[in-house]
Amino acid sequence: MISWRNLKFNLLASIKKPSLGALSYLAIFACSLAAVMLAPAPRLPWVAGGCLVVAALIYPRSFYRLMRLRWLAMIGLLALPPLFLVGETDRSLLGIPYSSEGLMSAMQIALRILVILVSVQGLTEAVDISSIAGLLERAGFRGLGFSVGVAFNLLPALFQSAQNAWRSLWMRGGLRKKRWRALQLFAVVVVGNALNRAEEIAIAAEARGFSPEKCLAYPIKKSKLDWLILTLALLSIGAMILIR
Amino acid sequence: MKLSTRELAILAVFGALWGLVEISLGSVLKTLNIPMSGAVLAAIGLAVALIGRAFVPQRGSTLFIGAIAMLLKLFSLGGAVLGPMVGILTEALVAEIVLSMGGQPRRMSFILAGAFGVAWVLLQPFVTGPLLFGRTVLVVWLDLLDRGGRLLGLQPTAAIWIVLALLVIHLAVGGLAGWMGWDIAKMLQSRLGRMTTDVIQ
Repeated sequence: MISWRNLKFNLLASIKKPSLGALSYLAIFACSLAAVMLAPAPRLPWVAGGCLVVAALIYPRSFYRLMRLRWLAMIGLLALPPLFLVGETDRSLLGIPYSSEGLMSAMQIALRILVILVSVQGLTEAVDISSIAGLLERAGFRGLGFSVGVAFNLLPALFQSAQNAWRSLWMRGGLRKKRWRALQLFAVVVVGNALNRAEEIAIAAEARGFSPEKCLAYPIKKSKLDWLILTLALLSIGAMILIR
Repeated sequence: MKLSTRELAILAVFGALWGLVEISLGSVLKTLNIPMSGAVLAAIGLAVALIGRAFVPQRGSTLFIGAIAMLLKLFSLGGAVLGPMVGILTEALVAEIVLSMGGQPRRMSFILAGAFGVAWVLLQPFVTGPLLFGRTVLVVWLDLLDRGGRLLGLQPTAAIWIVLALLVIHLAVGGLAGWMGWDIAKMLQSRLGRMTTDVIQ
């Protein structure tokens, strides 16, 4: 029997994803963010709806990921307080009093959070970390692509090194007395190991002929639609500022 | 800002350490709902960034470390939330501004950078709340008083005292992070037998 989840996935998979470059995804992300930030309260449902439709067309899987309990709980925690804090309590549901003004405010907050979460999830799903680093490199952060690549690959080794240092300290009773000193020594060991790794990486990179002055910026995925989408995004943001 | 391969690798390592703190410890603290977890995370992250600054004493290096940590947080497995990312970048920016105004790295500039960087954690909801999530400043204010009142055991009516106490705590935690960052950096430099990357080259 085909479950609803499978059916939903098949439907999502059948929608052909447009081939976009990193710049397009970033422009859509920035536009969605600006849209929910700038939209006046009465127009927010329309603006948020538009953003969610665009997100559904470009990265439909980001919605599925949001159906996790912790995301729903976070939206609830951020959106519910205005129900009881904003305006006079003039209505009640199941004996719980709330204000209609607060309800409107809570709905706006929930819509904004939903759009932001979908946009961030969609961006991280569609664009890889090296593309973002490549874009930032072009924006003036020279060498960031190399550094982010090194940092990303170092994470598991650093985590292991920190865990080993902590366990050694713990098992040898280093935290029983002079805890402050022990924590300082822990930090020295972790950072010292990390610095030694940095030294090795720098030597290896130089041995392979890497030079920050001469290296090309990290390649980013490009598409013919990039400039069109960027222009549309900028025009939309400009229009929203004018309407506001 | 011109950086050598060695400096880029050092900044990468410190960015990775800050990112690691945010990804691992950040998730644990948020899940356990520990009070002032934001300040604790910011203090540890800034201490790491400040140690990095001592090894690469160039303008923009703290912001560079923050940018790496922010990107690692953005692409972490736990899923991305905009708040922590904005937080990392702005804390790094605040620390960078303070350090750049101070000239050569000194203990006092490290303490101030840490203190102001962590104090930003207190102010951030007032900026990101209305801008990103549409929360009114009043709601953010009431939320702050409620949480602060519960933490300090004060009535929410003592608003000024709650805010002052929270500000002092944040500044003290940040100052301590700066102090510790300076000490660890000096300890490391003497143990590894070097001052900064300039001396090596």
